[in-house]
Formats: sequence, C-alpha cells, structure tokens
Amino acid sequence: MPLDTPTAETIFGQAIALDSPAERSRFLDRACAADPELRRQIEQLVADHFKAGDFLERPAILRTADPSVDSETLGTLIGPYKLLQQIGEGGMGTVFMAEQTHPVQRRVALKVIKAGMDSKQVIARFEAERQALAMMDHVNIARVLDAGATESGRPYFVMELVHGIPITKYCDDNHLTPHERLELFVPVCHAIQHAHQKGIIHRDIKPSNVMITLYDGKPVPKVIDFGVAKATEQKLTDRTLFTQYGTMVGTLEYMSPEQAEISALGVDTRSDIYSLGVLLYELLTGTTPLTRERLREAAFGEILHIIKEEEPQKPSTRLSDSGAARHGSRSLPSARPSR
Amino acid sequence: MSDVTRILSAIEQGDRSAAEQLLPLIYAELRALAAQRLAQEAPGQTLQATALVHEAHLRLVHEPNAANWDSRGHFFAAAAEAMRRILVDNARRKASTKRGGQFDRIELPDLAQRAEDDRIDLLALDDAFEKLQAIHPDKARLVKLRFFAGLTLEETADALGISRTTAQRNWAFARAWLYGQLHEA
Repeated sequence: MPLDTPTAETIFGQAIALDSPAERSRFLDRACAADPELRRQIEQLVADHFKAGDFLERPAILRTADPSVDSETLGTLIGPYKLLQQIGEGGMGTVFMAEQTHPVQRRVALKVIKAGMDSKQVIARFEAERQALAMMDHVNIARVLDAGATESGRPYFVMELVHGIPITKYCDDNHLTPHERLELFVPVCHAIQHAHQKGIIHRDIKPSNVMITLYDGKPVPKVIDFGVAKATEQKLTDRTLFTQYGTMVGTLEYMSPEQAEISALGVDTRSDIYSLGVLLYELLTGTTPLTRERLREAAFGEILHIIKEEEPQKPSTRLSDSGAARHGSRSLPSARPSR
Repeated sequence: MSDVTRILSAIEQGDRSAAEQLLPLIYAELRALAAQRLAQEAPGQTLQATALVHEAHLRLVHEPNAANWDSRGHFFAAAAEAMRRILVDNARRKASTKRGGQFDRIELPDLAQRAEDDRIDLLALDDAFEKLQAIHPDKARLVKLRFFAGLTLEETADALGISRTTAQRNWAFARAWLYGQLHEA
C-alpha cells in the first residue's frame, strides 16, 4: 500500500505547508513523479485536509439527556397538544411550542419538567392552586392553562405562548436608557401585585421568567411560569443543589434570604418583592447584587450564608466601582446611566 | 497506593500483562463519572470528554511524580480507549433502541458546527477509525488521544513519545484520512 510508506506522510506534510493550490500541484508533480497512484492518493488527502475544517478538532463531547422527548419526536401528541418546536431549555425542563387541537385550536407553550420529580405530587399541587391561577387576568401575566403528565410520567405545564426575550437581554440589545428600563419594569411590578392580590406567589422571578414581547411594535413585559415553582416545589436543599446544579446556580442570585432557609417555610409575597429588587438592580447595573461569579465560587453552606447575611453594594456604588466593567457583557455602557 | 497507580508502576517495570488490567478499571471509573456528572447538569448541556478523563486521572492516580509522562501516557491511552467504547456503545444503543431521554445518553456534538443535519455519525466514524487502526496503528493511537481523551497536541506527542512536528503532521494526515473515509466513500 503506497500510502503506508513514510514518504507518503512526508510528502503530505510538505504539501499542506504550501500556500497555494498551484504550488502544491507543482510540488506533487515533482515529489511523486515516478508514482501517479501515490500522487493521486496524496492529492486526495491534501484536498480532504483543506476541506476538513475543524473536523475532529474539538474533542468528543458527552451530552446530557433531553428531559422529555427527542427532537425527532417533535410532532408527537402530549394530551391534546402536538409538539411543534423546541423553544427553550432550562435547568427545570424543556419548553416547546405546541398546537392545541381540542377543545380549541391555538398555539401554546408547553413546558415538560425534567425527570426525577413525582408527577402526581406536582400535579396535585398544581390542581390545588389552579383555581387561583385561573383568577389571574393581567396583560402582563402569561396565562397558565393546564398541567398534566406525559406518557413517560413527566409533569408538564401549558401556558400562553409568549414570543419574547428575557427583559435584561431586551434592554441591553436595544440599548435602553435607565428611564426606559424603569418604564418596562413598572408593569412587571403591577403584574406581580395583581398575582399577590389573588393569593399567588411566583417564587421564581428572574429575567428568563420576565419576557418582553412586542405588541404593535411596543415592548410589553410578560411574566411567565406562574404556578410552576410552587407546584414543583423547588426547595433549596443539598439534594436539589446536587441533582439540579444548573437550575440552582441559575436562580440563586434572585433568591430571597427566607428562600435560602433549608425549610423555606417563611416564603410569602415579600420573596417576590425581593426578587423584583434583584431584577431591578440587574436592569440598572448589569449585574445582580450577589454576582454569579461570587455564588459560583462559594460552597453550598457559604451560598446560604451569603444570601442571608451579605450586604450587597448599592447600585450606584457598583456602577462607580471601576471593577464593574469586568462583570460580564451585560454591564454594557448602555446599562449605565447616560445622564 | 491505588490499583491504577500500582498497575502503572508494574507496566513501567516491564510487566506487559499489567496493561490489560488497566482498561477495565479506567472504563468503570469513567462510566460512573460520566453518568454522575451528566446527572448534575441541566438537560442539553454538554461535558467535555477531556474534563472527565482528567478528573478520572486525578481520582485514580495518586502519584507524587506527576511529571512522569511514561505512566501518564499509559493512563491516557487506556482512558482514551475507554472513552471511545463509552461513546460508541452509547451511540450503538441509541441507534438500536431509538429511545430518547435515557439517563446517560451520550452522543457526539455537531463537530464541525455546521448545519445540524451535518452531524458526524459516530458509528460511521468508528468504522473508519477501525480501518485506520488496521493500516496506521500509530495514527489511530494519536486520534484516540486527541479526540476521545481530548489531550492537546503537545500532551499527545509526550504521551506517544514522538516529536511535536511528527504529532502535528500525523494528526493532519489522520484527520484528512478519516474525513475522506466519511465523506467520499
């Protein structure tokens, strides 16, 4: 086998070091003058070398399992809902755009919760709150329509479909001034107050649950996932930190001190207010009061301590702190007061 | 001294049979580690094979003299083979069951970051790899270390005891060869 000879590799190595195809061709003419078959093989290899791009250049990756369905099972029915497209993915589950066929035809968002939760309990807790959830009627709240369990036993929630992006991203992408950010934030507060008056606590307010969607070209915030946190009873325990590490680090920054108690008995409407405060802080400074990096570095016990005890910098201090600019791309100049 | 450390030192003292004991130990550790780490991640997240292999090394090999590349080379060669088996087994299982959502489903990413449908078929890649192994065993070892264990080119050269230039050239050669097998069959 001609390609086996060391010369083949040497010729190949020299050929790919040459810059232009013409040079390479001339070089191969000379190097393989006596052996047209060798020339053909090496030429092919050289061509493949340049076509290969970053083929195999990044090491193999192991991917975590999809919580619910494979992308190839799009189109399947979950209850009366036909999965159309995956639109989001988080620590807790996967969100799909789905088509409801019965009793009315409409598009909805369907969130399938990750494996490992007792769906009977989740659905029972959802049912308990269902009446209250149905009483909510606010333009800035995405309606929660239904809940159930998939064939494989995973709980799912059906919500009003919101085409939007997280509020923080929207503000940064559009370089909103602090004043414009506040104007977007006010209706979010109204939405939460509305829910509180109906006796519903959100428990998981964070940018990805406050989406901005455009109505007639005007940005309108929509709070999503009402009822989900309660039903799935996200408690901060060693277990959840361990099994749902992704979720916990994603949410910890918005967690109120009373939620950071292991027992989490003291959660009331004030927890949502606290999380709103964190969101506002982030909208104005580009970082959460307790930064992601800070919490990520800390051990579990330390995290609880930080959330409960640590006094964060005031937003104005955070902004004037020369270190502020280091905290990620979110603290864009656009996030700074322009006046 | 851990089992793995003991086997590694046996290999260094010339005990050929010791190498065979290495693979099952490392395979078991990597599998468990992969399952455990994947369970902690959010769905759809990815884990680098590199990270797992290095973590397994830290856990299994307690050698004071970590700069000893001879024994590290043996370790990573076995780890790369173990990782290849884990990935291929899972791809095979997935292909045969077409079942999604299993706990430790492991697959290849969209390696070339082109369109989604341009993903590499790991089983086809492995067939090509077996051919490479038959014709160019030295280059197959290199591919294993680079791709399945995620070693850098420098680390690979050290582990195989070859010069960086040779490693670089053989890597380019093997990559082009495998690419040709997969795309021009």
